Amino acid sequence: MSFGFGLLRKLRLLFYLSILSAGVAALAGIGFFFFALEDLPKIPHPLSRIIETPPTEIFAADGQRVMVLGGREAVPLSRVSHHFINAMIATEDHRFWDHHGVDKLRTLKALWITLMEPGKIQGASTVTQQLAKNLFFSFERSWIRKFKEMLVAVQIESSYSKEEILEAYVNQIAFGVGAYGIEQAARIFFGVPAADLTLPEAALLAGLPKSPTRYNPYRHFERARQRQRIVLTRMVDVGYISPEEARAAAQQELVLQPLRSSARSGSYFLDLVIDSLEEQYGAQVVYHGGLKVFTTLDPQLQAWAVASVQEGLEALDRELGVFEAELDRRPQGALAAVETRSGAVKAIVGGRDYAETEYNRAVYSLRLPGSGFKPFVYYAAFESENVNPATVAVDRPVRIPVAGAPDWEPQNFSRRNRGPMILKRAFTRSVNTIAAQIVDQTGPEAVIQAAQKCGIQSPLQPVYSLALGTSGVSPLEMASAFSTFATGGIRHEPFWIQRVEDPYGHVLQERIVAGRKSLNPEIAYQVVDMMQAVIDDGTGAVIRRLGFRLPAAGKTGTTNDYRDAWFTGFTPTLSCSVWVGFDREAGLRDRNGRGITGGRGAAPIWANFMKRAFEGEPAREFPVPDDIHFTTVDPITGLPAGPSDPGAEKVALRPGQVPDGGLLGAPGLLPPAVDVREEEQ
Amino acid sequence: MDWSEPQDFKDWLSRLFSLRTILVALVIYSLALAELRFDWVEQLLGAYLARTNSQRPQSGAIWEKGKETLTARKTLEQIVTDRESSQRLAREAETLSQISEALASTQGVMVSAAHFRDLYLELPAAVAMDIASPFELLRLQSSGRWERTYFRKFGRSIKIFLLDMENRVLKELELPPELLDRLQQQEDFSEGVLEDFPRLENRIYRADRFFEALANQPEEIRRSILPAPERLLALSRPITRVGVSDEALTGFVDIGLEFESEGKSMVMVLQARDWAVWRLRLDLEAREILPSVEAEIPAGGTP
Repeated sequence: MSFGFGLLRKLRLLFYLSILSAGVAALAGIGFFFFALEDLPKIPHPLSRIIETPPTEIFAADGQRVMVLGGREAVPLSRVSHHFINAMIATEDHRFWDHHGVDKLRTLKALWITLMEPGKIQGASTVTQQLAKNLFFSFERSWIRKFKEMLVAVQIESSYSKEEILEAYVNQIAFGVGAYGIEQAARIFFGVPAADLTLPEAALLAGLPKSPTRYNPYRHFERARQRQRIVLTRMVDVGYISPEEARAAAQQELVLQPLRSSARSGSYFLDLVIDSLEEQYGAQVVYHGGLKVFTTLDPQLQAWAVASVQEGLEALDRELGVFEAELDRRPQGALAAVETRSGAVKAIVGGRDYAETEYNRAVYSLRLPGSGFKPFVYYAAFESENVNPATVAVDRPVRIPVAGAPDWEPQNFSRRNRGPMILKRAFTRSVNTIAAQIVDQTGPEAVIQAAQKCGIQSPLQPVYSLALGTSGVSPLEMASAFSTFATGGIRHEPFWIQRVEDPYGHVLQERIVAGRKSLNPEIAYQVVDMMQAVIDDGTGAVIRRLGFRLPAAGKTGTTNDYRDAWFTGFTPTLSCSVWVGFDREAGLRDRNGRGITGGRGAAPIWANFMKRAFEGEPAREFPVPDDIHFTTVDPITGLPAGPSDPGAEKVALRPGQVPDGGLLGAPGLLPPAVDVREEEQ
Repeated sequence: MDWSEPQDFKDWLSRLFSLRTILVALVIYSLALAELRFDWVEQLLGAYLARTNSQRPQSGAIWEKGKETLTARKTLEQIVTDRESSQRLAREAETLSQISEALASTQGVMVSAAHFRDLYLELPAAVAMDIASPFELLRLQSSGRWERTYFRKFGRSIKIFLLDMENRVLKELELPPELLDRLQQQEDFSEGVLEDFPRLENRIYRADRFFEALANQPEEIRRSILPAPERLLALSRPITRVGVSDEALTGFVDIGLEFESEGKSMVMVLQARDWAVWRLRLDLEAREILPSVEAEIPAGGTP
């Protein structure tokens, strides 16, 4: 009896203690509530405001939308497949339609597990709580944050209907691979609008928000399928579908859309656009302003450019004996294509793979152009000296004194000298000693001036070796500068943004396509004529061998130790520059130790790109200025020759210029012709 | 209420099953059940929070994003307002000088080809010729490609780009600072008398003599001196005196026309071709035009 009484006494004490604790807890709860209330965020009204940020859209030249920055693709709930809504509710919050923001039973269970099973944390967030967390809170895990999240969820439930909450939720959840909101996810993963998602597709997507990286179906397809099966089981448990439907859905094959990283072949180009926009308007306007940006990008040319660079570099990998896994040992490449008549940049490839490296070598990498600089050297000579393509120069050892430095003794690629030849031949065969003699005569300043008139903007050193391209330039600069020759001396600044509008269509900026007469058209044509010979019969002859038949002009370039291989060339309408080389200090040498020249490394990429770009296009000749006349000369003596004479070379001459065998520099006895093997084979 | 400890089991039972205890238990049970079934605590809290919503801070990720959107919109609105204001001024401009005034240093303005032609036609022939040959404009107009005209400041000059539909430049014109000055002076009405302009005070003629001499000149000379005489006709009061500058600047000589307007003396300065002015002066001097009329004609007065 006394034992029973003792127990009752203890129970009584416990009862009063419980009441006291409950009272204290209630008071603490009220205190906690008012404490949390102090900086509880205000909830926007209407809730759809969370998806109001207009996206900045970037369009290609053909009107195709190629990129969306910021913003969300929101859809009303009526345009979301009911399969997805059911799958999502079954998985995330099956009592969604019943609770008022907080699922108390689930919360108590989670609390019990968290407190009683150390190391185990059970989540119990409802859809509304998840929405509250995503909208207002950081991902910091703390009790106060959790409490505030519950309060906000409770308020959201009091202020909005379940449908409004669900609509806001499905339009902002992250599915991974850059997909936010169900509409974007449905389009990225399955290429369909959210309304058309089937049960298996919806179940797969509903499983992703738990861990978009872990269940990324592009990387872990089987894991994502397992998660899909869990979702389907949950749907059966909740009663949304029958077990048979779940089985059928689990067995149905799922075909994912190819990830758009490949479709985003214009990533380097788009980076350039975004950089320019940020510079002009600031990041805030770019990402939150809802701009409409119309660019000069030609998606088809861009795709071909990417394919040509990748194929060319893969071929180069094989020549170098480099395997795919050896990421650091693989060479890089860049391509820039510019419309000659306007300067509009049509395609940019800044590296072999944007996913590997986002550094845009086509725009920001300044590499030595080597002989690719010679068109500016010859232009300067034709303009400032009394020389023309038929003038004779002697390929001989050259020593040029340089004040305060050792004498400059440039050598040919083949280390051989070939004696006299006309300048046109010296150009097409890329003879370094003759280019050195020319710059010795004109002075490096004249060459710099010519290059700058064409549009080279990178700093150029006023040194004699400039003739052989010893100042860094970018592929975009080269493509743009060469297009000045293509247009007969009219210079167009390269540009990539045609027009920018605000969300309401007001024009913020538009491009005025203004050409500036920079070069003498006759001299520019003489250089173009020589550059045509480079492709037809010189160091760029591989272009013809690879099947590009349309009239084109260009110049190869290779630097010391084969560190850079270039080909820059143009048709009358499109100018393109290709560079290949290593990011690190290393030369391009094949398995046998032979160096890779511009003709071997870059020209094939150029040829493949131009073949694709001009497929089915008619041949367009370069316009010949009225004052230009053609004559045939002996390539060694520079004297007139019959068109049928063996080796006779056709040269373009300006009024008053005659093929008289005139010699570059002081006239004198010509040494005998020796060793006429070509450079840069 | 009896707070003392029950003394026996019977006491325990009677207290446990008392009406009060049962009522309290029922109330607690009902409250708990109602909360589980109807979420009344959440409803109360939610209603309170919703009522106090407007007093709480706009903090958190979504508000930050909203603020950025708002700032971005404001920035854009400013850009658009500036641009549209310049555009509106340009569209409403009746003279090239007004367009020049509407131009900001950082952005240009666009007008239609037709508007530019109207502005061009308003210019005195001499100035118009210096800007562009009418034959060249005629050629561009008849090509059917000239759609728009873009004005942009470059340093102290203004460049005018005649554009096709794709914004390609068909013709680029330049208004150097001297030409801009001439444009502005073209409509330079100032309060005062000719003597207030040092460059005009040496040669002041009575208006009737000046216009008499002008009328005797061939049409080419007359137009080179006063390219738009109809504009002078539009003045409400007659011109009283004319001052001619001794200095020529880039082929032009300033001519000042003094007239009365609302009881005040006003001077309008125009530019005339220098060669035409020399010819006119020969005629004026041959007609024994007073070397100085100041004594004869009071300043601002009518002879």
